[in-house]
Amino acid sequence: MPRHPRPHGLLLALALSAPLSPLAQTAASPPGQLLASNCFQCHGTNGRGPGFERLAGESADEIYGELLEMRAEGARERGRDIMVRHALGYTDAQLRQLAQWLSQQPR
Amino acid sequence: MNRRELLQALAAAGLSHLALPVRAQAQATDAGGNPLAIPPASPKARVIVVGGGMAGTTFCKYMRMWGDAVDVTLVERFASFRSPILSNELLVGRRTSANLTFGYTALRERYGVRVITSAVTEVDPVAATVRLKDGRVLSGDRVVLATGIEFDPMPGLTDANAMPHAWQGGAQAVLLKNQMAAMPANGTMVLTIPKTPYRCPPGPYERACTIADWMKVRKPRAKLIVLDANPDFVAHRDNFSNAFFGLHSQVIEYHTGVDVTFADVAQRTLHTSTGQIQGDVINLIRRQRAPAIVRRAGLATATERRFAPVDVLSYASTVAPRVHVIGDSSATTQPKAGHIANQEAKVCADALARIFGGGQPDPQPVTNSACYSTITATQAAWLTAVFQYDPVSRTMVPAPDSSAASVGWDSEHFEEMEEWFDALMADSFA
Repeated sequence: MPRHPRPHGLLLALALSAPLSPLAQTAASPPGQLLASNCFQCHGTNGRGPGFERLAGESADEIYGELLEMRAEGARERGRDIMVRHALGYTDAQLRQLAQWLSQQPR
Repeated sequence: MNRRELLQALAAAGLSHLALPVRAQAQATDAGGNPLAIPPASPKARVIVVGGGMAGTTFCKYMRMWGDAVDVTLVERFASFRSPILSNELLVGRRTSANLTFGYTALRERYGVRVITSAVTEVDPVAATVRLKDGRVLSGDRVVLATGIEFDPMPGLTDANAMPHAWQGGAQAVLLKNQMAAMPANGTMVLTIPKTPYRCPPGPYERACTIADWMKVRKPRAKLIVLDANPDFVAHRDNFSNAFFGLHSQVIEYHTGVDVTFADVAQRTLHTSTGQIQGDVINLIRRQRAPAIVRRAGLATATERRFAPVDVLSYASTVAPRVHVIGDSSATTQPKAGHIANQEAKVCADALARIFGGGQPDPQPVTNSACYSTITATQAAWLTAVFQYDPVSRTMVPAPDSSAASVGWDSEHFEEMEEWFDALMADSFA
């Protein structure tokens, strides 16, 4: 959705510098994976599309920050955007956790 | 044998393409590092899945991705899935059967799921076995039933095609489309809405709006009579009441609290709790329940013995713990709809991955629902809700602030609907 452009740059580069290798995830259910899977219906499996913005490999701070902005907007008014309402359904801790997991996925 | 050794062995056997990633390295292995594209050579667990709709296919894919060497077999009656989602678009000619059909190739070739095209005649909930129409019996550590819905019989309805429900996509949707096209320009169409719970709560109202909008152009003096068994709009009250009593008020006649008791096929007439009504086309959306194999197995003990109660931490049947019921056949507080069925499937797959690894299901699962409803040929509205697990009631409870609908409808939401559909189907089938 063009209303939420995602800045690229330093934060992104930092996030990409230390991705968690998927091969290292031998234990079932890494933290945040199931939570983040709520995003996949619209943003693609593992946040890699097809669909609305790709989330995989974006910085956790960016994803989390944007979700907080959406929540603030959704609380102020019945927004036109489905995501500003949707974001209100998750706790702070849940948003942090899913953002963290998404940030660790290969783009 | 570790992953590298396996790859070397496959390469030596000329089979290395089997283990090559289809899209990217990240999707090439399951959680245990085993190749994803082929069934595990030494499975640590086996799951039999019945039903290849939104819930069943999503479960298969994520069970393979998130499990460690879990062997997954899908049994589905049809060779492909004909989507009920967006099938109202088919009725008015904006979509075709072809672009609402989704196959099982990715499940087979990308995720190493064994896919069997067959009907299931019996489920043994204690032994966790499934009997196929040809007599074969499949057994697993767990059975997952993603069996969707079936319809109550309707007295008098000797030919189901005479008054199609068109509520499962496929042939009946095409049939209803053809019946609508053949109706006279001043004809009467009747659409019935069953008592809750039924599949896709906003669906019948969306269908009424979509057809009313189509009638204005194609059948300019036609009427659409909507008979709702419920006391009021089941979903999206603001938007649908504005559309029914405003935008489409010249076409739609809306009656609430009307139960259909008998279908007179020869007279094209419905007998109802408030009298008889005749229609040139009758879209009889009958009351719904879990299919016979679920009910015969003794699992459908909730909602007037229509649907299967489950523990929503794992979707294990509360009657038979080795059988899990996901999607529309289960009795939960969540709507019966494809988007949330996809998420229920992921919760179930995650729970089984943990259980097979010796752990416990996630104690705080979250699911979500999102959907778009067409109001006109170019405009749509949306609904969304997030459900959080409540440990006290042991149910999924809608997070109050997140349960919302769009304010009105517009063309931007219509475009989002197309993107949402493509993404949802890719997450479930690709």
